[in-house]
Amino acid sequence: MYLLVQSALAQDVGTGLKPSRLDSIQYLSEVVISSKQPFRSTATSQTLKGGELQALSTTSVADALKYFAGVQIKDYGGLGGLKTINVRSLGAQHVGIYVDGIRVTNAQNGTVDLGKFSLSTMESVSLYNANKLDNCQSASEYASGATVYLRTRRPVKDSLSVQLRRASFTTWMAKANAQFERKGWSGFIDGEWTDSRGDYPFRYHSEYEDTVGRRSNSDIRYGRIEGALFKGGFSSHVYYYDSERGCPGGIVRRLSDKYVNVGREWDRDFFVQASYQAQLMDYHHVKVNAKYTHEYLRYCTDYPENHNTARVNNHYIQQDGYGALCYAFTPWSWLSLSASYDARYSKLTADLKKFDDVFRLDQKQVLAAQVNWQGLRMAASLLHQHYRDITSAHVGAADPLDRWTPAFSTAYTWGGLTLRAWYKKIFRAPTLNDLYYTQAGNRNLKPEYTKQLNFGLEYQFNSPHWNASLQADVYQNKIENRIVCLPLKGTYTWSMMNYGYTFCRGLNATAQGRFHTGGWQFSLLTSLTWQRDVNRTDPDDEDTYDKPICYSPTLSSGITAIVGWRNLQLTTSYLYVGERMWSYADPEDVLAPYHNIDTKLTYSHTIGKMEWGVCLEVCDLLDEQYEHIPRYPMPGRNYKLTLSFGL
Amino acid sequence: MKKLILLFLCSIAVNILQAQERIILLNEGNWQADNGKITYFEDGEVISNQWFRDVNKRKLGDTPNDIIQVNNNLIAISVNWSNIIQFISPDGKSVAETEDVPNNRKLATDGNYVYVTSYGHECGTVDGFVTFTKGYVAKIDIRTFKVVATCEVGYEPEGIALYEGHLFVANTGGYAFQEDHEYETTVSIIDAETMQLVRDVDTGQINLYGKLSQSGQYLCINSPGDYYDIPAATVIFDCEKALEGDDDCFVVLEYASTYNCTMLDGNFLAIGARFSYYTNEYTFNYVVIDPCEVIITDGAGGVEESLPGTMLDDLMALGMPYGVYVNPYTGYIYATDAGSFAAAGALVQWSPEGNFLGRHKVYINPAHFLALPPDGDDVTSIRQIADRGRLVRADGMFDLRGMRMDVAPDRGLYIHDGKKIYKQ
Repeated sequence: MYLLVQSALAQDVGTGLKPSRLDSIQYLSEVVISSKQPFRSTATSQTLKGGELQALSTTSVADALKYFAGVQIKDYGGLGGLKTINVRSLGAQHVGIYVDGIRVTNAQNGTVDLGKFSLSTMESVSLYNANKLDNCQSASEYASGATVYLRTRRPVKDSLSVQLRRASFTTWMAKANAQFERKGWSGFIDGEWTDSRGDYPFRYHSEYEDTVGRRSNSDIRYGRIEGALFKGGFSSHVYYYDSERGCPGGIVRRLSDKYVNVGREWDRDFFVQASYQAQLMDYHHVKVNAKYTHEYLRYCTDYPENHNTARVNNHYIQQDGYGALCYAFTPWSWLSLSASYDARYSKLTADLKKFDDVFRLDQKQVLAAQVNWQGLRMAASLLHQHYRDITSAHVGAADPLDRWTPAFSTAYTWGGLTLRAWYKKIFRAPTLNDLYYTQAGNRNLKPEYTKQLNFGLEYQFNSPHWNASLQADVYQNKIENRIVCLPLKGTYTWSMMNYGYTFCRGLNATAQGRFHTGGWQFSLLTSLTWQRDVNRTDPDDEDTYDKPICYSPTLSSGITAIVGWRNLQLTTSYLYVGERMWSYADPEDVLAPYHNIDTKLTYSHTIGKMEWGVCLEVCDLLDEQYEHIPRYPMPGRNYKLTLSFGL
Repeated sequence: MKKLILLFLCSIAVNILQAQERIILLNEGNWQADNGKITYFEDGEVISNQWFRDVNKRKLGDTPNDIIQVNNNLIAISVNWSNIIQFISPDGKSVAETEDVPNNRKLATDGNYVYVTSYGHECGTVDGFVTFTKGYVAKIDIRTFKVVATCEVGYEPEGIALYEGHLFVANTGGYAFQEDHEYETTVSIIDAETMQLVRDVDTGQINLYGKLSQSGQYLCINSPGDYYDIPAATVIFDCEKALEGDDDCFVVLEYASTYNCTMLDGNFLAIGARFSYYTNEYTFNYVVIDPCEVIITDGAGGVEESLPGTMLDDLMALGMPYGVYVNPYTGYIYATDAGSFAAAGALVQWSPEGNFLGRHKVYINPAHFLALPPDGDDVTSIRQIADRGRLVRADGMFDLRGMRMDVAPDRGLYIHDGKKIYKQ
C-alpha cells in the first residue's frame, strides 16, 4: 500500500589516511567568512572528515553515520535496499540532510535517501543534535530534530582520477573525478556507474526452520554525475542520479522459488543549487541560497510473474524551488544577531487514482541571538514555520499550518573542557504522502512534535604528536503525536493517524585518540549509545505502556581503528548493536544482537606523475547473518577490490 | 461409598478428557514477517499460540487468511502471502500443502473438494498451467491435493460459499484503486460439479470484500464501499432465489458488516464501521440480522441494533475488533481484538447468552476461526445447526417499518413476499 521509496547507494572508496593525490583528501578549514571572533558551537556534534571518513569501509553516507553515537540505522539489505537513519529515536523524518548548508528535501515522504550521495565528493559528514549555529544560518537549518551536514570538498589543485571496482554478488563499479583550481575558482566533475546483481546468499537457521537461499530481485544499476564550482563565498553544485533497482520483499515460507514478488523502481533525481555569502563592513553578514530540484520516480509491479499484489505502474514527479536569505549583525565581538527567511515551493504530480497535483508553500523565518563572553556562550532562537497546501485532490487540502518553536543552548569552556546544555522544540510537518496518498492519507493530521533536552561535556587534549577528545551527553526526548499508518477500527482500510507518545532517555559518548610518529599514524575512534526509550502511548495497555520502542537497541557501540604506515593503511571497524524487539506480542519477537566487523587494506604508490592504488575490503568479516528488519537478511561476508589511478 | 467416589472421579476424568469447546484461531502476524501463527484454545484456556509450530516443528508461513474443516480428518488453511494451501489433521499435523493457487483467499468445501478463491492470474492444475485475466476459483481434490478444475470469475474474488451444489463467489475488484479496472459489484454463481459459470448477479454494491457468512440459503456479504463517495453496506443474499433465476435475490442494508458470522439461531452478527476519507470519521454498527426477515421485508425489518448479553459494551471496549465468531456446535461467542497491531491481540469469549467469560492473550492480528467438534462428536453435527438456520420462508405482508400486517392496505406502499408493492 505504501509507496516503496527505496534508496540507492553511492559507492565510495578512499585510499588513505595520508593525504594523497588520488582522493584529494585535504584538511580544509570550513569556508566561513568569519566575523571578528568565531563563535564556537554549543551543539552536540560529531564529525567524520578527510582521511578518516575515506578510511571507513563505506558504501553510503548512511554507513558512515552508523558509527556516530545516537544513530540507529535501518537497512533492508543489499546495495539497493532502503537505508535510513534515525537519531536518538526521533524517527527518520526528523533527520534533516544538508548539502553545503542547503536542505535536501522530499516533500512526498519526508525521508532522504542518503545512499544517493557519494562520499568521494565529501570533505566531511557531521551530525548535529542541536542547532549548529553558524554565524549566518538559513531558517530551515533550525527546522529539524537532528541535522546531518554533508560538506563538499573544495579542490585546491588540478587532478584526474579513475577507480574501478569488482565486488561480491556480481558488482561492478567505475568512477572518475576531474578537478581544477584556477585564480581562486575551483571545481570538480565526478561521475560513477555501478551495476550489481545483488543475489547474495542468506540462511535462516532456528529450531523451526532451515531456510537457505539467494536474494532475488535485489539488483541495482545506477549512474551519478555531479559537478561543483566554488570561489570565495560562492559555491554551487549540479547533481544528477539515475537508477533502476529491484525491490525484494521479506523472506517468507514458500514451497519453491516459483513466485517472486516482482516490484521494480526507477529514480531520476536532479538538482542545481548555489549559495553566496559575504561580509560587509565587519558588522554585516549576508547569505543567499537558491535551489531547484526535479525528482522522477516510477514504481512498477505489472509483471506476469507477480500474482501477489495489485499490478501497478505509477509515476511520481516532484519539483521543488527554494530560496533563502540570511542576515547576521555583529555589533560587538561578543554578540551576534541574525534573521533568516526561507521559502520553498513544492509540486507533486502522480498518476494515482483519486490523486491530483499537490502544491505546497513552506515558509520559515528565524530570529536568533548568540552571546560569547569569556568562555561562556549562549544562544537562543525562535523559528516560525508556515505551511500551505493547494490541491484539487478529492479530499481537499489540509488546513494551513502555522507554528512557533524555540531553541536555547549554552556552553562554558574552561581550558580544554566544555560543559553544555541545550533545549530544542521542533516538529515535522505531515508529508504530502501522509496527507494525500490515495486510500491512506489523512488531511487532518497534526504535526509530530519533538522536545529535546541535553546536558553534555567535552574534553580536548592536543600535543604535537597526539590529540584526544572525549564527549559525553545525557539527553531526554519526548515525541508527541507520532504520525503512523494504522488500520482503522472496524474497517479493512489503513490510514495515517496521529498516534503515539515516546519518552526517551539516553547517553551518547565518543572518545577519539590520534597519534603519529615517524611513518606511523594511529587513530582510534569509539562511540557508545545507551538509550532507554519507552512507549508512553496508552497507559491502559499494559503490554505496550512503558515498554521499549520497537527496533531500538538499549546498547550499541562502535570502534574504528586506523593504522597507517607509509603507503599502507589498515582500517578495522567494529559495530555492536544490542538486542532489539520488533513486536510486543511475543518475547521471541526480537532481533538478535550482532557484531559487525569491516576491514579495509589500502596500498598506494607513485610512479613518476602517476599514482596508483589498490584496496581490498572485507565487510562482515565474521559472516554474521543479521537483520535490521525481520525477514530482510543482510548480505553476510562480502569482498570489494578496487584499483585506482590518478594524475 | 468407594464406588461412589470412583464414579465421581470417573465423571471428572470424562469431563477432563472430553473437551467441549475447541477453537483454532489464525493469527495473521505482520505482512512479510513470516509470523502467521495458530492459536489452539480449549475449554477456556489457550493451549498454544504457536500450535502449528509445536506440532510440526516448522512455521506456518505469512498471513494465513482462512480456515475450514473439510471432513473429520482434514482441515484446510489458506496461507495467503506464502501462496500455500496448508492441509492439517484436526490434531494439527501437516498432511499436505500446495502452492498451485497463488494469492489464495477464502475457502469452501463439500467434504470431497476444497474450493478456493484467488486474486492471482495463474493456477497449476492437473492439466497444466492455466492463466486468467481476472481472478478465479480453483477446485482441489482432497484425495490428491491437486487442482482438478478452475473457473474464472471477476477481479479479486473474495468470499465463497456452497449452497445446493453451487458456489457463490463475492467479487471485490479490490485492486481497482491501483489497477486499470473498476470495482466489481457481482456475485458469481458456479456449478460446483462442472465448474462452469452459471451467471453473475449484480448487487449494485462495489468491492464485496471480507469474510462472507452463510446461514442455510442466506449469505451475509460486506461491501466496504470505496471509502470516498460510496459508503459501506451489507448485502443479504438469498441463494435459493438466485438459483431460481430471480434477479431480485438480495437486499442491501445500510450497515457495514466488516466482521460477521452466523449465530446458532441462523441470524448474522455483524460489526462494522462506515468510513470516509473526506472526513476521516467513521460510524460504528453492531447488529444482529435476521436474513429471512430482511429478505421478505425487502430490508424494512430484520435488523436489530442490539447484541446478546453484555456483548455490545464488551465489543465497544475492544481496541480494534478484528474478527467475530460463534461456535456452531456449542453457541459460544468469540471476538478478537488486534489491539495496537504491534502487540499481542486478544481472544474474547462469551457464553451463548452473551455473558462475558474471559479475555486471552493470543498473537498479532488474530482473525480467522474454526471450531472443532466437541469430543465424541463429528463435523456432521454442524449440519443440523445449519439446518436450524435455514428458516422457512414465510409469506406475509409488511409495512415499510418491517411490521407484519394481516391484510394488505387499501392503498400505498407495502411489502409482499419480499417485493415492494404500490397500490394506487
